Amino acid sequence: MESKQNTWIRRNERVEIAEPVAIVGSPGLRSIGKLVIESIIAETGARLIAELFSTHLPSVYETSPSYASNPLYPGFAGAIIKSAEVDLPKIQFYACFKPELILVAGYHPNFEGQYEVAEKVVDFLSENHVKRMIVAAGYGSNTKSVVCAANNPKIINEMKEKFSVETGYEGPFMGFSGLVFGLAHRKKIDALCLFASTTPTENDLELPDKEASDRILENLRKMVKLNHYE
Amino acid sequence: MDPEIKILKSINPAEVVLVCGLPGMAYVGKIPVDYIIQQLKAELIGEVYSKHFPPYVIINKDGLVELLRNEIHCLEGDSGRFIVFLSGNAQAFSPEGQYEMVEKVLDWAIEKKVKRVISIAALVTDRPFESPSVYCSTTSVSLLEEAKKLGVQPLDQGIIGGENGLIIGLARKKNVEGICLLTETHGYQTPTGEYVMDPRTAPATLNILTKLLNLKVDMEPMEKRITQMDEAFAKMAEFDRRVREEIQQTSKKPSYVT
Repeated sequence: MESKQNTWIRRNERVEIAEPVAIVGSPGLRSIGKLVIESIIAETGARLIAELFSTHLPSVYETSPSYASNPLYPGFAGAIIKSAEVDLPKIQFYACFKPELILVAGYHPNFEGQYEVAEKVVDFLSENHVKRMIVAAGYGSNTKSVVCAANNPKIINEMKEKFSVETGYEGPFMGFSGLVFGLAHRKKIDALCLFASTTPTENDLELPDKEASDRILENLRKMVKLNHYE
Repeated sequence: MDPEIKILKSINPAEVVLVCGLPGMAYVGKIPVDYIIQQLKAELIGEVYSKHFPPYVIINKDGLVELLRNEIHCLEGDSGRFIVFLSGNAQAFSPEGQYEMVEKVLDWAIEKKVKRVISIAALVTDRPFESPSVYCSTTSVSLLEEAKKLGVQPLDQGIIGGENGLIIGLARKKNVEGICLLTETHGYQTPTGEYVMDPRTAPATLNILTKLLNLKVDMEPMEKRITQMDEAFAKMAEFDRRVREEIQQTSKKPSYVT
């Protein structure tokens, strides 16, 4: 383990995919992005190819929700136990060959490490020939819609013309997925974000909203053929 | 992503005046600098990115994502004299980040033969006034005298917080002449204590700044712009408030054990 670095990636498997589309999600508002990634992994049987670890990934957050990082509350490092196995907090990368995808199951760094971790993820995607990224996230609204944002007006036009997905969210986009989305252009990656509307729940902003994540999946299926996998 | 200046167009000036108007209290520095940039169509020549900006991005009304950044615009004058403007949508969050950012920009400006740094900041006061007064702090007596002739009053004591103040302090350490203009504002605090923009300080600041820069700027569109800026900055302040609100929704959890 390259413990001298603050943020490092351990590869499980080296894969060569010509030009995969990256799909990125994390446990943000109503955990929509996280649910989308979990569904696609289950649906496509994508393989775990790499994991990112960082001293900036707390195992215990002092903030709630986890994506609202605060410089005064960096959280606590520690182990995560799952199915009686010890592990560390991590971001996972999965690969699928048909359709050609790299899936990023995100995890929110603390305030200090947000840019560092997001940059490392974007670098990894670029090294793996990603030219296009789709981020799944949520935004607070009483409607039942999916709207888009992008780092390039051509993508916005394509969304409107080919998929009838309009823009509609204006404002800040916090946390892991927001920064990965924002940094993509530095590696010349075309990035699209699909935001599903959801009702923020007062006591737990990360309470999963399966219906909203299904709305994103429905749109994603038109953009990448998720059901034609191997 | 340590502070990084992405140069979009290289310049080769004989002399540079650097004008710094980053967003700070009541946006007193940002508003007049952005106004000059827009009115005189200063050219965007560089962008500054940093991991020290607050960790979020902005989705604008067209649905396009923007990283927080500073921008460098420039106006080319006679005999290779350039006026370079530093503005943007954020300041670095921490003191460490603010030092790194300002050092990076100042070192770049020194390479470009900067002779003078002018920054603009707010002087929050309870004093009732019809139009705000402009105060200053300078690194040299001669510059102070120059400012006094324009009706600027010297600031006897105080603290200029943030990068608009730090840039003058660091300029002095690097032997570059500097002046910080401090325009009075009531700050327009909301009931929750948030400072919002005060575009009505801009005419007073611009009156002094344009004289120092020897620029002519049409002030007529200012009133219209003040209304537009009220709306635009209200939106920025709203974004800021939403981010701060989420950040403040912290609840202490146990420090160990799941």
